[in-house]
Amino acid sequence: MCPPAQPNRLVADIDKFISYIYLFIVRQLLLGNEAIAYGALSAGVAVATGYPGTPSSEVIETLLEYRDRIVEWTTNEKVAVEIAYGAALSGARALAAMKHVGLNVAADPLHSAAYTGVEGALLIVVADDPAMWSSQNEQDTRWYGVQAYVPVLEPSDPQDAFQLAKEGFSLSESFGHPVLLRSVTRVSHVRAPVVVEPPAPPKFGRFQKRVDKHVLVPAIARTRKVDLLKKWESLADVSLRYTKVDGEGDLVVIASGVGYAYAAEALERYNVRARLIKIGMSVPISKRILDMVPQGEAVVVEEGDPVLEIQLRSLGLRTKGKLDGFFPRHGELTLRSVIEGISKAFNLGVKLPSAPRPPLEPPSRPAYLCPGCPHMGTFYALRIAAAGAKIVWSGDIGCYSLGVNLGEQDVLTHMGSSLGLGMGIAQADREKLVVATIGDSTFYHAALPQLVDLKTKRVPLLLVVMDNEYTAMTGGQPSPSRDAPAEIFAQALGIKYFVVDPADVKTSVEKIREAVSLAKSGEPAVVVSRRPCILEALRVARRAGFSPPRYVVDADKCKSCGICYNLLKCYAISKQPDGKAWIDPSLCNGCSMCAQVCPYNAIKPQEPGKVNRWLELWSQA
Amino acid sequence: MVTSIVVVGVGGQGVVTLARWLGRAAMAAGYDVKIAETHGLSQRGGSVEVHVRFGEVVRSPTVSEADADYVVALEALEALRAFKYLKSDALMVVNKRIINVPGKSVDSAAVFNALVSLKNVKLIPAFDIAQRLGGSTYENAVMFGYMAALLGLDRAVDWLDGGNLRAFNEGKKFISFENIR
Repeated sequence: MCPPAQPNRLVADIDKFISYIYLFIVRQLLLGNEAIAYGALSAGVAVATGYPGTPSSEVIETLLEYRDRIVEWTTNEKVAVEIAYGAALSGARALAAMKHVGLNVAADPLHSAAYTGVEGALLIVVADDPAMWSSQNEQDTRWYGVQAYVPVLEPSDPQDAFQLAKEGFSLSESFGHPVLLRSVTRVSHVRAPVVVEPPAPPKFGRFQKRVDKHVLVPAIARTRKVDLLKKWESLADVSLRYTKVDGEGDLVVIASGVGYAYAAEALERYNVRARLIKIGMSVPISKRILDMVPQGEAVVVEEGDPVLEIQLRSLGLRTKGKLDGFFPRHGELTLRSVIEGISKAFNLGVKLPSAPRPPLEPPSRPAYLCPGCPHMGTFYALRIAAAGAKIVWSGDIGCYSLGVNLGEQDVLTHMGSSLGLGMGIAQADREKLVVATIGDSTFYHAALPQLVDLKTKRVPLLLVVMDNEYTAMTGGQPSPSRDAPAEIFAQALGIKYFVVDPADVKTSVEKIREAVSLAKSGEPAVVVSRRPCILEALRVARRAGFSPPRYVVDADKCKSCGICYNLLKCYAISKQPDGKAWIDPSLCNGCSMCAQVCPYNAIKPQEPGKVNRWLELWSQA
Repeated sequence: MVTSIVVVGVGGQGVVTLARWLGRAAMAAGYDVKIAETHGLSQRGGSVEVHVRFGEVVRSPTVSEADADYVVALEALEALRAFKYLKSDALMVVNKRIINVPGKSVDSAAVFNALVSLKNVKLIPAFDIAQRLGGSTYENAVMFGYMAALLGLDRAVDWLDGGNLRAFNEGKKFISFENIR
């Protein structure tokens, strides 16, 4: 029995309906990543997982709004792919999203998924970061497609990203095979008008036992490899479905991904009569592409490595692309580099103006830890507590990577490098003290197995877990830190540990001093330095209508010692011409650390009554 | 015809928001739009740069060196850094504000004098206007008002309210005091 609709309820429903129509019919300015999420929704995705990483995070963030399906952040990319893969083996439509380097972590299940295939659909969305805006390398995910026998779809803009994400599910389901969707910064983080379709109901599944397919013991895996190669040929055949040809002429340009957008504009701008072939699936490609290039020669425009070009050359096509230096082999494509490459290849003789120079050269402006960042307090306490020791600062990926600008990251290479490399350094160089600094999200992502080695090998080093309770660098996604605080692992393994609050400077220094002497005496030691990200705290404060107290320097008391700006290194504090400190009121977040480190009591809160309330609110953020 | 704008500033100043507003205004006025954002370090005091392009059909998402019609700078040192984008007949619109770089000394007067002496650079007291309206958080809205009026997109803007709307109108008003190029 259905109760009659109440009038106000009806109005609300109509409102909801109108906003729904608006959302899914009218073009909206969407990020490429949001468009990918809508593509997955319209394909009926039921399980979506991911680990945050720029430029990929907004895929899962967008999907999290949809509560009628399973959407979750996982501890790392391997877990993300495993959960999505398991769901797809059960017949569900599943997605996993990550940045390029994350796929290295998930490479093991990726390769197996190609052997077993899937029963539902598995779309693995990977966003590459050429030019390394926020990454440690610029690897091209399409190589994984070649290596793992997984087809790669490559969108050229946000609308295309919506379409290919949606089609990726039907491709995966029709072949029973995983599919990679490779995006790049200039697709994922480009906002453009996009028409999306409404979400389809989530398609979950039922697990059917298929031992002959799903158990990769050698005898079965060998037969699966033969089947995989057959499937690979038919996938190459369908790749032309994702190919589009614009224009006519003897000159041919073959372009994929954002390379297509640049090539199209370059040809239009100079009125070049050419055939432009857009490749939507760049791995594998079909031999029949040669039929579209009767002259046997083409310019190839692609972002990343010459993955498309190498395949085309292996088919016998004469190519002018990255292999022979028509386009740069590193960094992102630009409209300029594409115009120059096409001009050179076709002898167009285009001469572009050189870049103007500024009247003065500005100083470089590196990113800093936010004023009041708990890591600022942890680094300060470490500097004081370990003063005099010969230290190797073994760093990791996260906000605290910015410690490189403070002098506290000597080596920093990948997720988990702090403890992993740190153990190697500590065993190779017994003279120095290794201080490994790692954030909470990175600790769970990469350091738990390493912690077991730290215990079993009894490596003498100091591990500092900088726990701000969020995955802060990528925008404040949750971290497992509250459900499973880092010290419980140290405790379980019997490693001596200390828990400190970086906003309590004196106690932090004392406890870290103990941990340092333990490590110096030949024992591993763990410090968990815990206080929430100040940006999250500011968000909580704003919602509560609370403004943090600001701190000011009493110029009469300040003795220009520089402890606050040289040793605490707060971004909000600057050195005046007379050496005295000045706190920029628009930047101060009221953390109180500078007031605690000032030996002359020269720094005071403007509203002392707010100090304790703020520290309390902050610790609960 | 595609109009290319590079928006620059310091993380925390609302560079990404300003660029999105410009893109939204262009879209509301009936244009195709692409906005290439940079995320990640945008809240951490580093240099931030966002590209906005609008026109009948926009293909390339980014603006190349010597190819921007406008550079909009929320901060003067970042304006200097973005000079490489200017086309020969381009206009640079700069918020009259310098945000110091820790550990580096900057001669503010020299920077402003260098900028003001150039005929293709326009200094706007957006920071001062914003302070008068209640805080530096409004400086991007002042710059938006100026740019929207300059580009003829101001009538397409109907989503601002409160302090942002007041700041937008102040920025718009500022343009009537001068001759546009």
